[in-house]
Amino acid sequence: MSCKVGIPRALLYYKYFPMWKAFLEKLGAEIIVSEDTNQKLILQGASLVVSDTCLPVKVFIGHVLSLSDKCDKILIPVVRSTSEKVYNCSRFLALPDLAKAVVPGVTPILEIEFDYSRGKRYLYRQIYSLGKHFTINPFKIKAAAEYAWETHQRYHKITTEQHLTRVEAIDLLCKGKSIEIKEMGNDGLTIGIAGHPYVLHDEQVSHNLIKRLKAAGVNILTPEMAPETPDSNGNGHTRFAGLAKNYWESEEDVVGAGDWYTRIKVDGIIGIMAFACGPDSMMMSLVQRQAHSANIPFMSLTVEEHTAEAGVVTRIEAFLDMIYRAKRRNQQCV
Amino acid sequence: MRITFPHIGNAYIAIKAMLDPLGVDYVVPPKCNKRTLSLATKYSPEGVCIPFKLNLGNMIEAVELGADHIMNVTGHGTCRMGYYFKVQEQILRDMGYDVTMMLTGLSEHKLKGFLNLLRSVSNNAPWSKIISSFAFGIAKMTALDDMEILANNMRAFEIHKGTITPLYRKSLQAIDDASDYHSLKAVVREYGEEMSGVEVIPDYKPLKILVVGEIYVVLDPFANMDVEMELGKLGVVTNRSLYLSRWVKKGLFFNPLGIDQWRDVHKAAMPYLKRDIGGDGWETVGEKVISTGHYDGMVHLAPFTCMPEGTAQCIMPSTKEDLPVLAIYCDEQTSKAGMITRLEAFTDMIAMKKAGCLSQ
Repeated sequence: MSCKVGIPRALLYYKYFPMWKAFLEKLGAEIIVSEDTNQKLILQGASLVVSDTCLPVKVFIGHVLSLSDKCDKILIPVVRSTSEKVYNCSRFLALPDLAKAVVPGVTPILEIEFDYSRGKRYLYRQIYSLGKHFTINPFKIKAAAEYAWETHQRYHKITTEQHLTRVEAIDLLCKGKSIEIKEMGNDGLTIGIAGHPYVLHDEQVSHNLIKRLKAAGVNILTPEMAPETPDSNGNGHTRFAGLAKNYWESEEDVVGAGDWYTRIKVDGIIGIMAFACGPDSMMMSLVQRQAHSANIPFMSLTVEEHTAEAGVVTRIEAFLDMIYRAKRRNQQCV
Repeated sequence: MRITFPHIGNAYIAIKAMLDPLGVDYVVPPKCNKRTLSLATKYSPEGVCIPFKLNLGNMIEAVELGADHIMNVTGHGTCRMGYYFKVQEQILRDMGYDVTMMLTGLSEHKLKGFLNLLRSVSNNAPWSKIISSFAFGIAKMTALDDMEILANNMRAFEIHKGTITPLYRKSLQAIDDASDYHSLKAVVREYGEEMSGVEVIPDYKPLKILVVGEIYVVLDPFANMDVEMELGKLGVVTNRSLYLSRWVKKGLFFNPLGIDQWRDVHKAAMPYLKRDIGGDGWETVGEKVISTGHYDGMVHLAPFTCMPEGTAQCIMPSTKEDLPVLAIYCDEQTSKAGMITRLEAFTDMIAMKKAGCLSQ
């Protein structure tokens, strides 16, 4: 009988799910992903942790809770660093211990720590110790890890080349759903959204921000669409080009994306952040300042479990109206 | 070139002692006050933590006094502190102040980085002078902490409430004024004797509370609203896990040699939190585990939205070591009256627990 491994649909899921799935399925595990985020799940998660924890972690705890009777083990990896001396937010490093401490009767947790700063050998040891739960054959683990890495690369390539969001790319890769490729219109607005994937792509958390913008006929750009390597003009370098030294692991989604949007001159930038997010509290301010100096309209949305949907809708409408009006006026002047 | 540096507790006295012999032109920002806080909250990003805001407030007030170079620390780590300088620099520039940040990476360069920073602000003074002034600064830092430890111990015992605090304040001034080792030693002896000589309540068995948490709010009496003094007024002896002099000595001297001064604490935290989560979160959990039995309670101080301390606070209730913990979040909204009420309730409860009244 294969081991059922649960993966919470929160936080790092959006960044690494195809990789984890490839690795675990190659080793013969059955993957169970928790349901889509809903209000009940958020409230359950929020009731277990102290109130000033950030919303994504509350959502994560809710997902762990919802998985606890559905699987044999839960995979909670710790991503400490993926490049030299660039560490992840403190909350990510404590996820397994946090889940163990606050979720009553939690299923056994599979941990793995990615820490680039500690060298390759440490990484290999970690991968091997994770794989050991499923097979004793080290060659099989190696093959699975290589396959997982390939999948991860493909996932990245799809998002940047085909301008798909992470969720669309996961659907395409893992569920085989075909996505209709939309032609980017030239007449509409292009809005860049800066924010972490777990805020942006969780429809319950972001209050359908992406869908609402698309319904309003706006072309959207999300951080994962930014090309990894700069083009001939040095554009589209998500790794904090020019703006700031890379300090946090996952902040390229905010600062890197904001940088990219200002370089390619989008019509407006929406920064979405969770209340009490430590890194974003500083980084969003950098993006805002940069957008301001490049004369690009910027709106900051802060979400938490009490955010009212109507408020978000009104603000998006007002923001788009404002940009449309400014654009029309500029065209008339010309 | 006029140097300034943000406040952290009473560290300014020690930093002054380091800069004075080197002939550096510097300004000490006014001690944190209401104006600092309102300036800071006006110009800081909304969700950032209180140490950032107060540091920024200090910088603004120092720049108004003519400072143009700011000494600051950076680092690599998971906590926001290592990145403060970048955002603060941007904010100050947007406000129209032309400032230069003089930085040292404390976590990478340790002692050498700090000495290099001193050298660069002193216009390349000879190393012998830098090292001797640094050593004198550390001596002052140690004296400050000795005074503070004594004051926090004695405050609970005094018969006439409010005799220790003015003495302690005076001793800070005297330490600041001391110009050499000899007078520093005399000051420490004089005030030490005076404080230990106050009239005490005979046979008084006070409660003992450990103060832990994020380093800035633990060390800075403005940020934590004199929590230790207030506890002392309630007749409680306080101790803390962090003193600046110990932190500097161990962090700068022993860490580079590969000695982990927190080893016991980390080991104690292991069953509940397996890895360093940045800031002082790991230590907080470990302190709770090893202090159980030695203290009657623990006050956990954290800036609002602090990532490591928030995590530590989530994890702490799950330890099997049972030590009452009162978590106090510090930010610009915290009011002193609210905090005192909570401290009173907390001390009442641990006193009842100790007396066995809460047997169920």
